[in-house]
Amino acid sequence: MVEELNEQAQREKYVRGFGAMVLSRTLDKKIITAQRQGRVGFYTPSMGQEATQVGASMALSKQDIIYEYYRDVALMIHRGVPIDVLVDQVLGNSSDLSKGRQMPSHFMAKKYNFMSIQSPVATNLPLAVGAAYAVKYRKTDQIVLATFGDGSSSTPDFHAAMNLAAVFNLPIVFLCENNGWAISLPVEKQTKTEIWKKADAYGMRGVKVDGNDFIETFKVMGEAVQNARSGNGPTLVEAVSYRMGPHSTSDDTTKYRTDEVQEGSEKDPIIIAGNMLKEMGFLNDSVINRIREESVRIVDQKFEEREKIPPPEPESMFRDVLAEMTWILEEQMGDIL
Amino acid sequence: MSSKAMNMVQALNSTLDFRMSQDDSILLLGEDIGKDGGVFRVTDGLQAKYGEERVIDTPLVELGIIGMAIGMASYGLKPVAEIQFQDFIYTAMDQIINQMAKLRYRTAGEITAPVVVRTPYGGGIRGGLYHSQSGESYFVHTAGLVVLTPSNPYDAKGLLSSAIDSPDPVIFLEPKKLYRAGRFEVPEEDFKVPVGKAAKVHEGDDVTIITYGSMVPTVMKTVTNNNINADVLDLRTLVPMDIVAISESVMKTGRVVIVHEAPRTLGLGAEISALISERMIEYLYAPILRVTGPDTPFPYKHEEYYLPNEKRVMAAVQKVLDYR
Repeated sequence: MVEELNEQAQREKYVRGFGAMVLSRTLDKKIITAQRQGRVGFYTPSMGQEATQVGASMALSKQDIIYEYYRDVALMIHRGVPIDVLVDQVLGNSSDLSKGRQMPSHFMAKKYNFMSIQSPVATNLPLAVGAAYAVKYRKTDQIVLATFGDGSSSTPDFHAAMNLAAVFNLPIVFLCENNGWAISLPVEKQTKTEIWKKADAYGMRGVKVDGNDFIETFKVMGEAVQNARSGNGPTLVEAVSYRMGPHSTSDDTTKYRTDEVQEGSEKDPIIIAGNMLKEMGFLNDSVINRIREESVRIVDQKFEEREKIPPPEPESMFRDVLAEMTWILEEQMGDIL
Repeated sequence: MSSKAMNMVQALNSTLDFRMSQDDSILLLGEDIGKDGGVFRVTDGLQAKYGEERVIDTPLVELGIIGMAIGMASYGLKPVAEIQFQDFIYTAMDQIINQMAKLRYRTAGEITAPVVVRTPYGGGIRGGLYHSQSGESYFVHTAGLVVLTPSNPYDAKGLLSSAIDSPDPVIFLEPKKLYRAGRFEVPEEDFKVPVGKAAKVHEGDDVTIITYGSMVPTVMKTVTNNNINADVLDLRTLVPMDIVAISESVMKTGRVVIVHEAPRTLGLGAEISALISERMIEYLYAPILRVTGPDTPFPYKHEEYYLPNEKRVMAAVQKVLDYR
């Protein structure tokens, strides 16, 4: 069960969570603007999924391992990944942990137990199962969180991972961030069943939660994490939200949908979270405004600062293919550079 | 060192057994590898000895086996995965190409996937379309993988030990036709055959025959039966290839035949031929010839026509020797 918090601890936890949501949203908007200005190549915003991600993150312990996907910025920020790391990756500068090899949105942060993101969806899930096997084998008291979108539920990798995790009774939580859309395909056309219900067929717990309610998500995730940590095996959590942004900066949502959720509307999870916290007496409008302003200041400042960092040397594209550079690569590097 | 007569299956088993006894981070996973000991019995007896947690009978899902192995390897374990037949590996190609082979690159070396994927390949057992394929080109073509293939029990034992110690993901192709093709004296102790080094299995001046894996015995038989004065190179490592051994031999003989079982078009012979042409064409006295499987699926009834044999190898050798 979720630990009981006294009011002071609860206030701090929730307000910090709200701050991460706002910071994530602010960063998303900044990057989208920068992309429009030609300063960033591409981006997949997390807008609309902040409450899901912060609720999930609040349920984890520091040592837990996360196999995230490319729309998890609020999750990463709440786990303590510095804004620099995210901005460096998006810019592909020489401080980027992946040395400018990956397109934007493909973050990594091993220090914070975030694994590296790939484009082919759901292929992180079998890896997460393997990590969970390692954790169980080594009895390290960690659990693994694997995140993915609703589209991923159709893939063979999803099926394989769910089945394997259940068969080996592994300490893992699968979090489906159902934002309603896989690029242009609505979830109703993705699958005939609700995603959480698939858990039953694999022999694991399945839970659906309102992913726009970060406190409810925190509670549901807390139980799933507790089950994983205490040896009771995996859970599939389906957190329902809405993809407020385009799939990516290359996408035009007017081609396929008309039910846009506007930022600042009553369906915006950050507005929902703010109202909840105001009702609990944890926040008021002036504090919320301060949090927003501070986020803009931090993001603007970081962006300015990190944009000054030069790109990686071209030579770096030839490194880290294998542990040692092969003669073939040395030759090809010589030909090209 | 004391030695023992072993076939390839026993040699592979002895490496796995010894290395597992020394290092509890080594785990095996695959279909039917535990109780059953694998359909070719390479892992026979290991589950009884090391337990179900370390010798894992997995559900029937190749992409899951490889995917899990990658996750295990990223967290400090040393998984040795078995794919029952190389023909069955294709559903896992996304995991191999987009995860396993790219993890080191996309994390600038911070996260790696030093998985060993063992898999029997090649024909000669009447396996038809789906138990006979030689798909090495798929793996050789993918940056970020080491590709090994032994041709005898000694190399099998030593190469597998090197594969387990490799910091890189290794595709370890086992020529299934040679699994039980005779026993050879092999040291009982652990030893290593280095990655990246070809073996010169026959010495001669007139022609260089480059081959590997399942075709090595066919080439050796041809050379011996016909008294060919040939350098025969058993590549053993397909990536990274031993260009030094190839160059030295080709510059000496000036005549080259490449023999492999895989289909000709974009088979490894094409790459080897290009490498030689690019860097030492002035040493060549004759065109480089390839003896390979045809560009057909692997047939059931007519596998003896598919597989390169003594007659075809000899015809190619004769042709390059006679070329003026």
